[in-house]
Amino acid sequence: MKNEKITSFLKSLFAGDIRQDIIFPFPQQDKEETENLQMILQAWQEFARDNVDPVEIDKNAEIPKEVLDGMKEIGLFGLPVSDEYEGAGVSKTSYCRVFEEICRYDSGIAVMFGAHASIGTNGIVLFGTESQKAKYLPKLASGEYIAAFALTEPGAGSDAAGITTTAVLNENKTAFILNGSKIWISNGGYAQLATVFAKTIVHQNGEDKEKITAFIVELDSAGVSRGKPEHKLGIRGSNTTSLNFDNVEVPVDNLLGPMGKGFLVAMETLNTGRLGLAAGCIGGMKELLQQANQYAQSREQFGKSLDKFELIQDKIAYIASETYATESIVYLTTGLQDRGGVDVSLESAICKIVGSEAVWDASDEVLQIAGGLGYSTEYPYERFLRDARIHRIFEGTNEILRMFVALSGIQGPGEYLKNVGKALRNPIKGFGLLTGFAAHKVKDTITIDHLKNICPELKNEAEQFDKLSARLAALTENVLMKYGKKIIYKQFILQRIANMVINLFGMAAVISRVDTRVKQGKSIEHDLPLAKLYCNMAASRVRREARYVTRNHDKQRTQISEMICENGKYPIDMLLDK
Amino acid sequence: MKIAILLKQVPVKDATLELSGDNTWIDEDDVQFEINDSDHYGLAEALNIAKANDGEVTVVTMGPDRVKDSIKQALAKGAHKAIHIDDEEMSSTDPLTRAKVIAEAIKDENFDLILSGLQSDDFGYGQTGVLIAEILGMPHATLVVETEILEGKIKVKRELEGGWFQNAELPLPALLSIQSGLTDIPYATIKGIMMAKKKPVAEVDADDLGVDLDTGAFKLQKIYTPVKSKETVVLDGDADSIVSQLIDKLKNEAKVL
Ligand SMILES: Cc1cc2nc3c(=O)[nH]c(=O)nc-3n(C[C@H](O)[C@H](O)[C@H](O)COP(=O)(O)OP(=O)(O)OC[C@H]3O[C@@H](n4cnc5c(N)ncnc54)[C@H](O)[C@@H]3O)c2cc1C
Repeated sequence: MKNEKITSFLKSLFAGDIRQDIIFPFPQQDKEETENLQMILQAWQEFARDNVDPVEIDKNAEIPKEVLDGMKEIGLFGLPVSDEYEGAGVSKTSYCRVFEEICRYDSGIAVMFGAHASIGTNGIVLFGTESQKAKYLPKLASGEYIAAFALTEPGAGSDAAGITTTAVLNENKTAFILNGSKIWISNGGYAQLATVFAKTIVHQNGEDKEKITAFIVELDSAGVSRGKPEHKLGIRGSNTTSLNFDNVEVPVDNLLGPMGKGFLVAMETLNTGRLGLAAGCIGGMKELLQQANQYAQSREQFGKSLDKFELIQDKIAYIASETYATESIVYLTTGLQDRGGVDVSLESAICKIVGSEAVWDASDEVLQIAGGLGYSTEYPYERFLRDARIHRIFEGTNEILRMFVALSGIQGPGEYLKNVGKALRNPIKGFGLLTGFAAHKVKDTITIDHLKNICPELKNEAEQFDKLSARLAALTENVLMKYGKKIIYKQFILQRIANMVINLFGMAAVISRVDTRVKQGKSIEHDLPLAKLYCNMAASRVRREARYVTRNHDKQRTQISEMICENGKYPIDMLLDK
Repeated sequence: MKIAILLKQVPVKDATLELSGDNTWIDEDDVQFEINDSDHYGLAEALNIAKANDGEVTVVTMGPDRVKDSIKQALAKGAHKAIHIDDEEMSSTDPLTRAKVIAEAIKDENFDLILSGLQSDDFGYGQTGVLIAEILGMPHATLVVETEILEGKIKVKRELEGGWFQNAELPLPALLSIQSGLTDIPYATIKGIMMAKKKPVAEVDADDLGVDLDTGAFKLQKIYTPVKSKETVVLDGDADSIVSQLIDKLKNEAKVL
């Protein structure tokens, strides 16, 4: 039975429905959008080649003013803004492709740019009123204003709903008075504008309730102070500071989105942010691959260049196929976003997880290919590694996103991370569990749904996908029957379910991409080996995760972790023990 | 003020080039093309002069359909309009023939100023601009590093050899080839890119201009990849004799002294 209400490919997949109609054919941009994109990329590449020096940026922990000015001049700051508000007016897909290329030249610039464009400006694009848009978007598009996104607090990182910054309406109801502190805010040192999240009192059903609300805050307002820049491992060009609000007056006109809907604003904004971030990771991987190739071909040991050794080929092939898969899921998701009408919250969370882990693995392996040189600060490899590390942490840690993917998939359509957060703190009340889902599933035994009419080149991969999707649905049902609401405590299991979905999404996107090319009569000479290797690696990962759901050593893991925490250290001294 | 910039499209600098079957050109199939590097400086100077003198910049490009990309780029960087001289067969590589075609195509435009880059990265003749000036009967100056528009004329500073410069005044209309590396080259802007589509590009067919494309002043017979020859010579003798042999070789063979 198809659930027509679900317009999310992945949420449907949890229920055993393969909504091929959503992801086939692979989304394509029209000719004009492609031409524009190509020229924007070229403008940035020409500029970056002449002006961007990642070594200097890393050393000085600062992006030179000329680089910022040049980017503004080109119009890059206006990429997320429509032409109506003097922005570039490009698609999400083009936006991400440009982001990819920015990250390829310097990750610090990419983080600055992402904080401004993806999350700083996008809140206003998505939720701003006409007058807010007219007032702020042109300035953000020109770069006269740089934006920031201020959610995290000392006591509220992953648990974003636990923020304590407050916004209280003043007596004559003209302004909110903002008090509190935000930390780790990218662009915090120089942004003129920030989307700030604070607790507010909202009247609901005759009751006063504390709820999060989003505000547009001009950072030159009285009472705003900024901390010193953090010293960071990587992305050192980006500026990260705390922001403190001491009785800051925020005009009521600067309320962003409805009162009490701040969490929704944050999550929707982060959906876009995560796609940009993942695209940045693709750029990083492409650069890493190029560097690895150059090195592997020129370095000789045992009378052969390194690229001739199978263990080096293994690394190069792995990075390339992960790049291919990340590209496939990211541009599938941006394509869906551009088309509209589908929920891509799980998809974009997965893009962030996959991109950040793939670029981290890639930077690690490429450093390994470079051997001792890889470890030297005279060469770029260690910087790539340092820069790549952050992506697994911000915009939702990968742990939290895995829980989000698994729990919202299990829970069914239309739910957001807020429920997951609530559930984690108060499972009984928070996890409005499985209302339709479990019941529905008990009634319908799971039948294997199929990808239909797939090109012969990927027939086997498509069949594997079908089978493993059925397995996901069956397992989801099993664990729900077994654990009920307690499933939210079962992070070992949830993580495995998330990993299954992550890899299944990769397979689906890759199959759609190749199949679409075949049907358009385009060459798949380069695509096919990458697609096949990825699909087969992904399928075996899915099988492994599925196996571990039922056969595992989770109890020992918990026991060991508790033992270590109790002892406060490794409890054995092997040789001294009597 | 009407300014033309002669802009050529050439293979990208790091392209891997293969010779075409008949050894008279490269195999273009897998090659990417870009705006000739020195022409960027010509374009930059044209845009600067136009900005200061309320002028209008027309890009003039000859070549097959693929050059339209470069034309669009130049329009995105701020040029106002373009003339594409469509030469699908790339009929002649002889600079005089090409100069005749271009001159014919633009003679009625009555440009006040025609600029070009120093030379093209593919053939590197550095002649086309100068020849066009001759054909159109206008004065020209090469290796120009500075310009200043005066009433009905232009003052230029030219770079000569050995650190010398020449200042000269030319009556307008005139043609200049601009020395590379002195101005900041312009980057396309996103606004420019979006506007570029709306800017007029006139199409002229090279075959329709009445220029004989087949009998140029010279014909390119063959191109080939230089043969790499590495030779190690061991110098014998006492120290003094080795030094004098070495100096002789550096002077007369390697020509580095
Ligand atoms: C360079 C940088 C830039 C940043 N920029 C911004 C910005 O512009 N705006 C902004 O608002 N924030 C920003 N952040 C903050 C970032 O989003 C947070 O650091 C991140 O969300 C994690 O929060 P935390 O640091 O408090 O870690 P914690 O939440 O304390 O987490 C610590 C560890 O515990 C894990 N963990 C936490 N809860 C659970 C759970 N329930 N189950 C399993 N594991 C769990 C986490 O995954 C993590 O591994 C930035 C951070 C950095 C480092």
